[in-house]
Amino acid sequence: MADGDKDFLTVLKILIVGESDVGKSSLLLRFTDDTFHNEVPATIGIDFKSAYLDVDGVNVKLAIWDTAGSERFRSLTPSFYRGAHGAILVYDVTKRETFMKLESWFNELEVYSTRENMIKMVVGNKIDKENREVSREEGLKWARKHSTLFIEASARTKEGVKTAFEELVEKILQTPGLWEEVRRKRNINLEEEEPASTGWCGGYCA
Amino acid sequence: MEALLEDYISPEDLKNFESNYTESRRNGTLTSQTQFEYAWSLIRSKYRADINRGINLLEELCSSQLGEEKRDYLFYLAIANTKICDYSRALDCVDKFLLAEPNNRQACDLKKIIKDRIKRDGLKGAAIAGGAALVVGGLVGLGMALARK
Repeated sequence: MADGDKDFLTVLKILIVGESDVGKSSLLLRFTDDTFHNEVPATIGIDFKSAYLDVDGVNVKLAIWDTAGSERFRSLTPSFYRGAHGAILVYDVTKRETFMKLESWFNELEVYSTRENMIKMVVGNKIDKENREVSREEGLKWARKHSTLFIEASARTKEGVKTAFEELVEKILQTPGLWEEVRRKRNINLEEEEPASTGWCGGYCA
Repeated sequence: MEALLEDYISPEDLKNFESNYTESRRNGTLTSQTQFEYAWSLIRSKYRADINRGINLLEELCSSQLGEEKRDYLFYLAIANTKICDYSRALDCVDKFLLAEPNNRQACDLKKIIKDRIKRDGLKGAAIAGGAALVVGGLVGLGMALARK
């Protein structure tokens, strides 16, 4: 997964959305760093991590944008949705209200995503906890109704975490027209990106 | 974290946040939330002038507010100052943030980037100074050689 020098087929932009404190950042850190912390501070606005994932012998690079669930950032985070290939919608199986809010996250993705056929994966997190309020069947039913993928997971025990990302990426790769191969165009892409990333800052500091 | 420093807002989105801000200012209904939204979109601009404006708005918020929002302002002030390569101010903001939350991963990651950049620019500066010394040395040497003739 951390094999950065390996050639990759494409770069996929993945979003993680959902209510505060459902474990979005914990799922991400379990996936990218294989770590878990009991107390994770609220994400400030947005966080980013990249990762490599091998799906059926194909190496892809993931650019994962982890959004803050806090109300303060609600109107700001959709401006990061542009160009996303896939989204992970997270709820906490021990808090029904976070499940009820899935609908609004789903609608927000529909409104602001720029790729019509973006793939969505619903993840019911914290299944290691005992005080469950949302059954697996309910989650599955919601996902079927909205034509999304579905899995239950625990960032604490690792269960389902890698599979969630793998299944999402697999489905994206299977969707024609959703992604572009970058391997062959790599030089062109780098040239295009260069002015933007160095920009005036390089000019001022160099 | 590096990606956050190279992420740019679309001009349409920036325009939307700008008109929200201008309108609520005109109506006298400006809230710190609206100001923060506009400031954050400004510091995601490609243009240095916008980023500077965003910094001013965030500093205004920082001096007038306490509490949970302040961590957002400090963090984005650190990001914005890193973007315009004002690393000493960036470091100052991130250190203030870390005083309150010493183990915050996002802030620790950002601090590491700022320190790496300071080091990198220091090396660059040293290389330029070293190069200049070589040139001066060469000229002096040449002068001496000519004088001896």
